[in-house]
Amino acid sequence: METAAAKGSGDRDRAQARWMMGLWRLVRVLAAVSVAAPLISGALLVVQAYLLAHVLHGAIVGGEARDALLPSILAIAGLIGARSLLAFAGERAGVRAAEAVKSKLRKALFGRLVGEDPTWTASRSSGALANMIVDQVEALEGFFARYMPALVAAAILPLAFAITVLPVEPVVGLLFLVTAPLIPVFMALVGWGAEAASRNHVQAMARLSGLFADRLRGIVTLKLFGRAEAEAARVEAASDELRRRTLGVLKVAFLSSAVLEFFAALGVAGVALYVGLTYLGLIDFRSTALTLQAGLFCLLMAPEVYSPLRQLAVHYHDRAAAKAAIAEMAVLFETLPDLTTLEAPAVAVPSGGAAAAMPLTVNDLTVKTPDGRSLVLDEAGFTIAPGEHVAILGESGIGKSTLLEAIARLRTCDGDIKLGAWDLRDLDESDLRSRVAFLGQRPRLFQGSIADNIRLGRRDASDDEVRAAAEKAQVSVFANVLEHGLETVIGDGGVGLSGGEAHRVALARIFLRDPGLLLLDEPTAHLDATTEARVITAIREFAAGRTLIVATHSLKVASAMDRVFRIVHGKVVPVRSTARKDAA
Amino acid sequence: MKALLSFAPFFVRRGGAFLMALGLAVVTLAAGAGLLGVSGWFLTGAALTSAGVAFNLFGPSALVRGLSFVRIVSRYGEKLVGHDATLRLLADLRGWQFRRLIPRVPLDGRTWRRGDLVSRLTADIDALDTVFLSALGPIATALAVGAAMIVVLAWCLPGAGLVYGLGFFGAALGLPAVLIVAARTPGETAMAASADLRMAVLDGIEGHTDLRALGATGWAREGFTAASARLQRARTRQATIGALGNALVQALAGVTLVGLLWIGLEAHHAGSLDGPVLVGLLLASLGSFEIALSIVRSAGRLGAAQAAARRVKALSATAPAVQDVANPLPLPCGNSVSFENVCFGYDPRRPVLEDLSLHVASGERIALIGSSGSGKSTILSLLLRLADTKAGTVRVAGENIADVAQDELHRRVALLSQDTPVFLGTIRDNLLIGKPDADTPECWRALTAARLDAFVRGLPEGLDTWLGEAGRTLSAGQARRLCLARVLLSSASVIALDEPTSGLDPETERDFMSDLSVATGGRTVLLATHAGLAPGMVDRVYRLEAGRLALSES
Repeated sequence: METAAAKGSGDRDRAQARWMMGLWRLVRVLAAVSVAAPLISGALLVVQAYLLAHVLHGAIVGGEARDALLPSILAIAGLIGARSLLAFAGERAGVRAAEAVKSKLRKALFGRLVGEDPTWTASRSSGALANMIVDQVEALEGFFARYMPALVAAAILPLAFAITVLPVEPVVGLLFLVTAPLIPVFMALVGWGAEAASRNHVQAMARLSGLFADRLRGIVTLKLFGRAEAEAARVEAASDELRRRTLGVLKVAFLSSAVLEFFAALGVAGVALYVGLTYLGLIDFRSTALTLQAGLFCLLMAPEVYSPLRQLAVHYHDRAAAKAAIAEMAVLFETLPDLTTLEAPAVAVPSGGAAAAMPLTVNDLTVKTPDGRSLVLDEAGFTIAPGEHVAILGESGIGKSTLLEAIARLRTCDGDIKLGAWDLRDLDESDLRSRVAFLGQRPRLFQGSIADNIRLGRRDASDDEVRAAAEKAQVSVFANVLEHGLETVIGDGGVGLSGGEAHRVALARIFLRDPGLLLLDEPTAHLDATTEARVITAIREFAAGRTLIVATHSLKVASAMDRVFRIVHGKVVPVRSTARKDAA
Repeated sequence: MKALLSFAPFFVRRGGAFLMALGLAVVTLAAGAGLLGVSGWFLTGAALTSAGVAFNLFGPSALVRGLSFVRIVSRYGEKLVGHDATLRLLADLRGWQFRRLIPRVPLDGRTWRRGDLVSRLTADIDALDTVFLSALGPIATALAVGAAMIVVLAWCLPGAGLVYGLGFFGAALGLPAVLIVAARTPGETAMAASADLRMAVLDGIEGHTDLRALGATGWAREGFTAASARLQRARTRQATIGALGNALVQALAGVTLVGLLWIGLEAHHAGSLDGPVLVGLLLASLGSFEIALSIVRSAGRLGAAQAAARRVKALSATAPAVQDVANPLPLPCGNSVSFENVCFGYDPRRPVLEDLSLHVASGERIALIGSSGSGKSTILSLLLRLADTKAGTVRVAGENIADVAQDELHRRVALLSQDTPVFLGTIRDNLLIGKPDADTPECWRALTAARLDAFVRGLPEGLDTWLGEAGRTLSAGQARRLCLARVLLSSASVIALDEPTSGLDPETERDFMSDLSVATGGRTVLLATHAGLAPGMVDRVYRLEAGRLALSES
């Protein structure tokens, strides 16, 4: 049982690792440059060390004058310049590759998000989603820009250096050959722990971000209840929790760099002692005498043999962080996006084409609560004729909004919904959106001007059309007294406008469209009687020749409709019109 | 730099740990350079000694082994201590930032976007962590070790101190300084682009239903892609500057090596410098450059940290809209409320209240009606001092609330605002915000008063049911009633209700209104509403029109 689970998680890890390598292939050329540059630089380094040892040998043992050694010194300077250029080119290529990958991934994730059902996003923390797309994706940068080039360099350079040293001094070469491959083994041992710890770290970060967003949204409420100080302490406690988790990651991550440090120091010290003792004749494994040039070359190469591995260790946590972010992404988004396929074309809403009033037939409509434990709608069924205007009444939470969302295909449900001759499920998304207009209970206004927000209804609408829509939805009443009128910029979530005002802006969007079926959820909530009457008139005018369904608490709205339904025990039942008139 | 310096007290508070990290960093670097230097010196010295001649083997070999051991241990300790101190600093900064915000809310929503605010509190303060670990610490280390190297070089080899000093400090101090200036603009651009991107994501999530229903997901994606491209460009520029820095450090290290070699070879040839010492000095200088590399690597990010410091400071330096007076008066007993000739407006062209007067005696219930946007909510927020009047006085229990501590006022007066949220947490957590020490029966009484008890009883986990973000598992009406219950639970004796029944169906609304006197139990109530009011629900009804109040006949 346990091994099966472990195997499952192993398969998943491998699949995620494969997926990450797939991202790498999206930016082949830049990736190749970022990997090749350190390798070429390594080759030049061998020559540089050889020349430096040669110069020192010539001067110290051979007693040569500085001028005689000038060509070699100039060559060293040239090599240093060339290696600096290579370092720049390689690093820049790696960064550009990583940035390209991040952009593609973000685009895919956001496309996935807006392509899902709104219930999908509603069931997730918006702070965690934003954290994933903005911050966690950032964690991939280190992996692609630094870890991957470092990994290739660490796999090739130490062995290549060791083999280069082998003919010069076999014992030192063997020392390098044996110790270098051991290092990745030790690193893997400590790296595994770092990865698990890093996953916890990512979760803690996401939760912290979610908590912040939530507490900030309500900071005024907290302040008024005198709870702000307590919540500040809670924020601190959450940060402290994050510190403990992060430190757990680092304790282990630093251990792998300590292993590296150990080997690097051992390499330098070992070479110095071995070569020194050989010179002193205390050790003698050689048939020929060891020159100072050969000894210095070995010493100069000693730190370099371990340096690529050290670089890899510095960036090892980049891999762990990236993998942890990917694992979290796989959980939050259920599957990882496929970036290799061509993306679906954006849904374009046809602006023209008068949509005819649509009849609506609903049969056996069943919708469960998000937790799936109970039914909101239970095999509900009803029919509405084209051009008919109906109201749906019912206590709050009884399922009026759910019903409208199901008809607007904004919520998954069981049963049959037919718009005219079409099954709702078969309608093309752009076709559906051009025929059906929906105003939710909590419409969102976006950062921008009031006019921009209205124009979301139809993006090619002229200024006059926007003005007319604003007029009808009673937006102009409050917008006209603002300094910039409809061009007044409003904050996200409609800050600066009252609830009723924001609602009317969202209604104006609908007036720019030309739907055959209108679904309005509480269009007159937050409105006073006068404004409500005006809005009802505007809706009725606009809905002439269209099918209209209004979910409402307002008896005034209900009395303006042809028929009234009620939701009772998950069924949609008609209310006798005489009884309604009496109530009104 | 000035913005960063203003955070100095936070560093001082964790000063011990930071000093320890610094000390360990100096030891690490010195041991590394020392190890290479001693090795080179020993090796060359041994090569020059003909076999059999006495060579003090013990000293150098012990030194080589000792230095390598010291380096391993101090490196590990330095990293751990430094990171721990930095993360503690982050927790300090977060709590401080949150507390600084409390008196400053509500912020002007048109200037401070919430997505932006979230990024300020998390990302910006996170960015500040680079300040010690990757800048201050290594720079101080470089100063200490570089100075020591210069002294040693100047003593052994005339002229070498100058060459090394120029090369080393050029790489460790000059170059990073240039890079910081160069990276400032891209750093700020990247921060802003990152905040925009977060905003675009939040718009996409919270406006998902609207975007979908309007067929505007393509529009949202365009906006997102544009923000993402801006971020990509800014980050690439930042990283390019960083890459240039790394390459230049390599070049400067190389130039220094060649320069020292040039001077050293001449001195050696002239006989004033031993071969072993020459090799040792060369290798030790080379080893000391590793610190320059780590300083330069972080210089690009330091620009971003400075931008973050400026933004964090800017937000926390905005003057609070409402301030307590120096010596607040105690709020006398009593629950009366009065507005005397109050004027208010955010925009002079759109005055909200003009010369408004109103008196509500202790225990009275009054209703404010009027068209939406007429200023009913404003009257209630003035009562809570979420803003100050432009003219006139608001009194609670006869005392001018501008002379009373806000804390005390808020204990007396509770508000159910239109945008009050359901918090992430359980139903009980949400209720306890109103009264932290409330017991279970009290919670149930509040839920009953808000007519939410039947629903909560139906939940398997009852009061301990977890509510998703923004309470989205609740319907709008249920969320509203939960917030109402929170207000009713509080021990405030004056209650301001802004549209308490919006989102409720007429029946529930009627029930709630008729229950009002029982639910509020003798407290003073100011009710802003659209709901129809039956006789006897409230003592008086006022209509607000064009900024003025009139007693309504109905």
